[in-house]
This record gives sequence, structure tokens and C-alpha cells, in this order.
Amino acid sequence: MGQAVVNGALQRREPTPLLVRADGGPQRKARSVTARERRGIYFILPFILMFLFFLVIPILYALYDSLFTSRLVGGTVFSGLANYKTVLTTSAFWYSVLRTLIYAAIQVPVMIIIAAFFATMFEIGVAKWGTAFRTLFFIPFAVPSIVAGVMWSFLLEDPYGPFNRIFQDLGLKSFNFFGAGAPLLGSIVVIAIWEWTGYTMVILFTALKSVPREVVESALIDGVSLRKLVTGVKLPMIRPAITLVAIINIIGALQLFVEPEVLTVFTTNVAYNYTPNVYLYNQAYAAQEYNLAGAIAFVLALIIIIISVGFLIVRRKKGGWL
Amino acid sequence: MIPLRLYGLRRGTVTMVTVLAVVFAAFTLTPLWWILVNSTKTEPNLFATFGLWFAHPFEFFHNIRQIFIDHSQGSLAQWFRNTLIYAFVGGIGATVLSTLAGYGFSRFHFRGNNALFMVVLSALLIPSTAVAIPLYILYARVHLDSTMEGIFLPFMVSPVGVYLMRVYTGGAVPRELLDAARVDGAGESRIFVRIALPLMTPAIVTVFLLSLVSSWNNFFLPFIVNNNASFDPLPVGVFVWFQHSVSGGGYQDFYLYTICAGFLTIVPIIVVFLALQRFFRGGLLFGSLTG
Repeated sequence: MGQAVVNGALQRREPTPLLVRADGGPQRKARSVTARERRGIYFILPFILMFLFFLVIPILYALYDSLFTSRLVGGTVFSGLANYKTVLTTSAFWYSVLRTLIYAAIQVPVMIIIAAFFATMFEIGVAKWGTAFRTLFFIPFAVPSIVAGVMWSFLLEDPYGPFNRIFQDLGLKSFNFFGAGAPLLGSIVVIAIWEWTGYTMVILFTALKSVPREVVESALIDGVSLRKLVTGVKLPMIRPAITLVAIINIIGALQLFVEPEVLTVFTTNVAYNYTPNVYLYNQAYAAQEYNLAGAIAFVLALIIIIISVGFLIVRRKKGGWL
Repeated sequence: MIPLRLYGLRRGTVTMVTVLAVVFAAFTLTPLWWILVNSTKTEPNLFATFGLWFAHPFEFFHNIRQIFIDHSQGSLAQWFRNTLIYAFVGGIGATVLSTLAGYGFSRFHFRGNNALFMVVLSALLIPSTAVAIPLYILYARVHLDSTMEGIFLPFMVSPVGVYLMRVYTGGAVPRELLDAARVDGAGESRIFVRIALPLMTPAIVTVFLLSLVSSWNNFFLPFIVNNNASFDPLPVGVFVWFQHSVSGGGYQDFYLYTICAGFLTIVPIIVVFLALQRFFRGGLLFGSLTG
């Protein structure tokens, strides 16, 4: 009997109340189904409670808090949107945003090009030992950025770092990557490329698996070159994945914190407003301006949301490359 | 896979691409090789000898012992223990909550299901600072700012985990199977444990590994919200030593300690990662959205 019900049920797409045992009319069955569906709430409840306590409530509280200002005399007073006005009119904040956008404009395309190149080559099988390379490139994903920052600090150090030693041995002048006027942003780009290229490559590789074989075969029968096949057939078909990694990395760029913060140990080139998060951290902990720090965090969140949503809308409208 | 010869490649293409892959592999391995080599040196040799090759004396075991003994700038043993606790409690908590929630969202049609799920998903766009700073402000009020719970409880909230579990459960656990068990009179918790859980296992492993790695490596949240140095995790400890290596005047061995602590931080997680990497692939597309 049980078996028969299982088979019968398996043929239906949606469960129907009629399947319920014969104790009660259709009315009652309908109600019992609603009651049963409501039990799903018990399953989501633990997560929802934690979500409320450790995400929603803190954010609402900080939003409320950001409407106040602490004064040396008179304690904390309600100041409306004054903190937001301060953030939006402070050039130090906008410089930090601008710097992360410049950083993103370099890091994101370079990384995606390298990742897309290796993803397509490994997927087609052009390189030898593709599987081994894929695993190897992916390893930095497991390395915390703080340790990545420490390793690169030492590697780029002047004059003892191994790169500068090699420069010296080749008879070249050593280069102070952390000196005044040195392009520190370039060093951070290198660190970020080291950390995230393999991860991006594996995402694109996974997406490439879904390109239909027939499409590739018909392109091959038409005799297209490898370059055309990659840039004209394969990559356009994984545009959604490319957009996704671009958005993830732009969001990550705007939140840049750990790499510049680690580099402060070896360089004085990291200004207090180097990135929005460095600026925010210094406002909160050095200047003890928590209300203002909260406002900075929310303005940054708003910028991130606007950029991400904007990207998605543009993509949906134009269907262009991004 | 389509055989390579059908692509009509020009001669030398395979060699050229392989060489480029070797170059990028060297770039990837250089820092890892560097940290391995330098954790075997003495502090003077860090600067006196070439960074990418070994030097005498070989002090690896002595160094590792030393970083556990020297407590002048924070205890590595304590950081290690904290990180283990955060990674496992946070990882297991996130997995349990995400599994339950993913099942609830995917297999029950209660009112507000979709709206609530969209709210959870929208949390992915919130930058980590917009979570960490509010937590710090609130923690100060409710006295969670110097506790271990204050660090690992937020790790348990993983919108990505819920998303992955919901998507996976939708495909792997047929509603009809659950209804059949209901007809046979099984209760909801029994159905969940006996029927749904076994079918959800691959996704559960993926979510656990992703949360384990992100909790193990999380620097920002504990750095911001924690006020008690004895509850710091390894990544924060590494940073504390790194800062001290310069400010401490250099007569102590803290450059070396930083390197060895960094080495100890990454070895366990890389081993876990390499051993179980196939489980990461499923959750990969969404892993980094947590930040």
C-alpha cells in the first residue's frame, strides 16, 4: 500500500489535497495543507532569528545612532542628517572612493582577462596539465588576505626583498615599491590579482562547461580560428558569469581594507583616507567618531548597492559586454 | 570534450599556452614558497640571505616551538585555539541554520516565503563594514564586545549558505517523496531527518567547507568588534605581531614570528582545501559574495 502511494505521488508535479487520508472532507484537507505548509516557518525560524539579531537589528540601531552627534559638552544630541551631510561634503571621503574606483578600473579588467584566458584554454584543453594548473591557481583563495599582505610586503621589500635582490644581481637599481611617490596602488593590484585570479578562473571555467557542444562543433566546421572561437563564441555565451565576477570584484574593491592596512607596517604611503574602509576605521577608532563612522558605512553601502543594481540594469537593457 | 586536433591549432600553440601557465603558476607559488623557506631561517638570515632559498642553520622546529613559548606579545596557542573554535562553531552553526532554512524556504509554501527570502538575499549586497561597525556599536551596549560569542555568532549568519541550500534542495529533494511520507503518517521532523537530510548531503558539505574557510580566514569582523586581545583569532594575531616587529625596534624576533605564525595559519586550511576541493566547486559562484 505504502509503495503504491509513493508511485502514485511521484507521478504528480504538485501534491493535491485529495491524496490525504480519508478522514475529513475537502474543506478540512485544504486547511490542513495550509497548516502543514506553515510548518516551514519552524525550519527557517532559527536562521531568521540570528539574521535579525546579528544583521538587521545592529544595522537599524546604527542607522538610528548615525542621526546623533556626540559633543564634548552636552553629551549626545540628535542632529538629524548632519553626519550624512558631513560625509557627503568631505573631500577626504570622496578621494577614498575615487581611489578605489581607479584601483577597480585596473584590477578588475586585468584579472578577468587573465582568468578568462586560462579558463578558456584549460576548458578546450590547449595547455598541458590543465587540471593540475587549475588546482594550483585556486590555492590563494584559501589564504587569508592578512597573510597574503605579509608575504607580499616582504617580497617587495627594499633592499632585502627577493625581487630587489634579483634586480641588484642583474645589475639593475633596486626599486622601493613602498617609497614616497612609488605607485602603491600597483602593488595592491598585484596582491589582489594573486589572491583572486584563480578563483575567478574556476568560476568562468564552470560557466564554460555549459556552452552547448553543438555550438562549438558548428563553429569548428565553419573553420573559425581558436582566437575567434574564444572571443566570438565562448566568451559571449558566458557573459552573465563575467558580469557576476565583475560586480563581485567591484564590490570587493570599494571595500578594500586589509591589503592597504597590512602595508602600513612597511610604508607610510597609506593615507588615513586611503580607501573608504580605511577612512571609516580611522574615524571610528582613532577619532572615536562612531556616529560619523556609522554614517560613512551606510553611504558606502548605498554607493555599492547603486553600482551593483546599475550594472544589472544596464546589462539587461543593452545586453552588451557588461 | 572535443578532441584537441579538431581545433586545427597552429604548431606551437600548445607549447606557448603551457609556458604562460607555467609563468602564472610560478607567480602563484612564489609567496607560498617564500613563506615556507623563511619559516626555517633565523631572524638575521631573513635579511642577510636570499629570500627564495634556504639558509643555514635550519631552525624550522626551533622556530615553531619558540612562537608557542614567547608570550610577550600575545599567545599564539590562544589564537590558534580561538581560531579553531570560531571556525568549527561558526562553520557548524552556519551549516545547521542554512540547512534548516534552505529546506524550509524551498519545500514549504507559507505566506511571505518569497518576500522573506528576497530580504535574506539582499543582505549579500551589504558591505562587511556596514555590518561590522553596527555590530560594534550595538555590542558596546549589550556587553558582547569582549566575548567569544560576539565573534562566532555573526559567522553563523550565512545568506549565501541559505541560498545554496535552497537551490540545491529544490533540485534534490522531490516534494512528492515528502508527501508520500506524510501520507504514511511520518512527522515533519522525522521526514526532514530521515528523507531530506541524506539527499542534501553534498550541499551540506559544500556549505560547511565554505563557512569553515571564511570563518578561519576572517580578519575584519574580529578586528573591528573584539576588545579583548585574548579572544583574537590567528589572522588578527599575525597582524599584531607584524605591527610589533617594526615598532618593537627589531631586537626581538618578531619578523620571524610573524612569518612562522602566517605559515601555521595557512597550512591547515590549504591542506583541507586541497583534500576537499571538489566540494568547493558547487558553491563557488556565490562564495565570495559574503566578503
